[in-house]
Amino acid sequence: MKLYSLSVLYKGPTKSNLLKAAYDLSSFSFFQRSSVQEFMTFTSALIVERTTQGSRASVKEQEYLCHVYVRNDNLGAVVIADTEYPQRVCFTLLDKVLEEFSRQVESIDWPSGNPETINYKALDVHLAKYQNPREADAMTKVQAELDETKIILHNTMESLLERGEKLDDLVAKSEHLGNQSKAFYKTARKQN
Amino acid sequence: VKDVIIKPDAPSALLLEKHADYIAAYGSKKDDYEYTLSEYLRMSGIYWGLTVMDLMGQLPRMNRQEIIDFIRACQHECGGISASIGHDPHLLYTLSAVQILCLYDSVDAIDVDKVVEYVKGLQQENGSFAGDKWGEIDTRFSFCAVATLALLGKMDRINIDKAVEFVSSCMNFDGGFGCRPGSESHAGQIYCCTGFLALTGQLHLVNADLLGWWLCERQLLSGGLNGRPEKLPDVCYSWWVLASLKIIGRIHWIDKAKLRAFILACQDEETGGFADRPGDMVDPFHTLFGVAGLSLLGDERIKPVNPVLCMPEDVLQRIGLQVDLLS
Amino acid sequence: EVDVLVQRVVKDITNAFKRNPNIDECGVIPCPEARYNRSPIVLVENKLGVESWCVKFLLPYVHNKLLLYRQRKHWLDREALMDITCTLLLLNPDFTTAWNVRKELLQSGVLHPEKDLYLGKLALSKFPKSPETWIHRRMLDKSTKQQQQQQHYGETEQAGAERSQQLSDQLARTLHQEMKVCSDAACRYPSNYNAWSHRIWVLQHMAKGNIKVFHDELSSMRLWVSMHVSDHSGFHYRQFLLKELSTELSQTSACIPTIMTSPQHQSSTVPSSCSHNHSHTQANGELPGAEAAEDERQLGFHTVFQLFHEEMELCSDLIQSFPGHETLWSHRRHVFYLWHNL
Ligand SMILES: CC(C)=CCC/C(C)=C/CC/C(C)=C/CC/C(C)=C/COP(=O)(O)OP(=O)(O)O
Repeated sequence: MKLYSLSVLYKGPTKSNLLKAAYDLSSFSFFQRSSVQEFMTFTSALIVERTTQGSRASVKEQEYLCHVYVRNDNLGAVVIADTEYPQRVCFTLLDKVLEEFSRQVESIDWPSGNPETINYKALDVHLAKYQNPREADAMTKVQAELDETKIILHNTMESLLERGEKLDDLVAKSEHLGNQSKAFYKTARKQN
Repeated sequence: VKDVIIKPDAPSALLLEKHADYIAAYGSKKDDYEYTLSEYLRMSGIYWGLTVMDLMGQLPRMNRQEIIDFIRACQHECGGISASIGHDPHLLYTLSAVQILCLYDSVDAIDVDKVVEYVKGLQQENGSFAGDKWGEIDTRFSFCAVATLALLGKMDRINIDKAVEFVSSCMNFDGGFGCRPGSESHAGQIYCCTGFLALTGQLHLVNADLLGWWLCERQLLSGGLNGRPEKLPDVCYSWWVLASLKIIGRIHWIDKAKLRAFILACQDEETGGFADRPGDMVDPFHTLFGVAGLSLLGDERIKPVNPVLCMPEDVLQRIGLQVDLLS
Repeated sequence: EVDVLVQRVVKDITNAFKRNPNIDECGVIPCPEARYNRSPIVLVENKLGVESWCVKFLLPYVHNKLLLYRQRKHWLDREALMDITCTLLLLNPDFTTAWNVRKELLQSGVLHPEKDLYLGKLALSKFPKSPETWIHRRMLDKSTKQQQQQQHYGETEQAGAERSQQLSDQLARTLHQEMKVCSDAACRYPSNYNAWSHRIWVLQHMAKGNIKVFHDELSSMRLWVSMHVSDHSGFHYRQFLLKELSTELSQTSACIPTIMTSPQHQSSTVPSSCSHNHSHTQANGELPGAEAAEDERQLGFHTVFQLFHEEMELCSDLIQSFPGHETLWSHRRHVFYLWHNL
């Protein structure tokens, strides 16, 4: 089981902006890491944009599960995990991170913030610690607090999109994805 | 649970004409990069293509003479046959070549005695078979050896008792088989071992209920079959698992309608052919096992397939090979 | 002119290996177009990358070169053969005949087995399942072991003692290296059949009866399986270890004799619980009497009991922490079966 990325974002009226992120991409091949990272950022932003305030969701994309929580104050967080990693623990982590973040970073800084301006350093530590969910000591506590039936499950990224919208087009149009990442996206579409 | 979700708009009708066109066109892309990449297994590739064409009644569309000449050029001094010209001989491709020649009713195109010598020479003291002269041991090769000899009517040329002893030693507590003694059970290896035991008349050695249980647990909610616990479903396992169930007389233990729906969903409506899973890229390997799986499920538009040799039943009848299965 | 370009690329790859003998990973860099005047071979932080645009020229070139050589239509010297097969195998590691060409080079003594263990490791860094790469490794391991043993038989008795120490050191190193290669491949692809069955093969061929090695494997895999609760192959490996250990330990006084008699196991020590109790028999060099033998049997059973007990606890614990895994239940079933069929 593995956590690949953990990010905090602000959900603006149309777009979302990344406030801070941490990645563990050691399991990807070296030359793919930068593209994978761009895609994780791209995906996290897209998911926050398409998730309504005050809700939790899990989105399945190939071998990955992206768990999101967007609070009523528009602060959101996304963790990208593999399918083996327990969902429950992911949501505990998201709660904890958002709570800590909103304590440490003033809300007026959220709408215009970006990873350079935001001073919040704990993400890397959380990501590392939660790699082993049993050590993170989150296994038992959460159960009571979280009503799992309220988590929306999307079986593909596509189900987040609007009618007529295509993931391929969004990728092609994105300014945040470099050419190498776009090329990577094309070849990564499964050929077995 | 690891599984796929079949979309409502996934194909649900069998597109035979498209598949035939796909296979017929496949060989004409010889300069393709992908084609080069797979040259190391070309002989098996041709076997997959021809068998699926024959099952669909389209064999005449393939270039018979060219293929027979090619096989002849792939037989080596030692008797073994290679995947392609300039490659080294191996049991895997020796079996594929013999299978192709049976489809074409022309085993005389090669030196059959030498093939038999080659196979015989690869048997080890403990009964196992090496895949080639370099000595790798695997139950896959035990299957290749007896299947080749069975098709040539020369099974008596090897030590069958010893061969059976080795394959039996690869049986696990779950009733399945792995590649060597002590190795994990795997649906592909189970196909090889049950097929081997069918060909050698030793199916009484399997614990059919136990193995049947393991095999039908491979079916997932989507209807598709995986090859081991907690792996994704894959069309090729529709063949390895289903054929094994058929061999041990337990094919009725799976949900046929759901499996059929899964296999059909793996077709590509545009290009023809089957992929491992819905939405992925198609290839001749999965196309054969998709179609052959549907045949085992009783599809009447496809010729009946033999579960042990993965060849049309009429071909085996013609060469007079009958394999008894468990009931 | 494509030929000239590709020849240069093959040279660049060879030179990269000469320049940096510590390359530990190979990969393709997604890059649809060539950039002017720049080699498509990139070397950063011990990683060797090939730009994707050039692969479609590079592969057919080395492919055809090798096949022409194999058909005796075109001569290649040993250097060239090694370079060509190296590039070919890094791009297409299931090209059996290319491995065979290298096997012949090994047999004729011009290629060192270490070199191919290394090449295999690199190929697995990109293609962790590649059956032919694993097969080649087994051939290498087997021939290295044979060679070591042959050298050993040729020695006089005195030199023999020293040699056998060296041998077991060598063996320990090889074991360690193989386990590492298997672990890396197991992390790259879940339930990687070929990686795990190689691991089993290695133990069967190089550590048969060596309780210490099996015991160490069992403990070192504990964390790994706890973090890969759906990896059926990883759990099957534990079942294999448990089965071997319980057979060894529950045979009458198996504990000491297997470790003491076989020369390659001389440096081994028994698991802590075991070695402590037996230190006295080892120290005064006396053969255990009937009573001691019975003690030993009891101890063996006790150790086995302990192993199964711990395994069941681990299993319960994991099932509780990670509900819904077929693998964990299947493991439980198997462990229970082994325990009751001792
Ligand atoms: C006549 C026919 C149809 C076949 C010839 C006989 C042979 C060679 C059958 C091969 C059967 C087979 C698929 C064996 C399994 C090989 C194996 C151990 C694959 C390992 O699986 P992974 O590479 O881990 O891939 P999965 O993820 O699919 O399990």
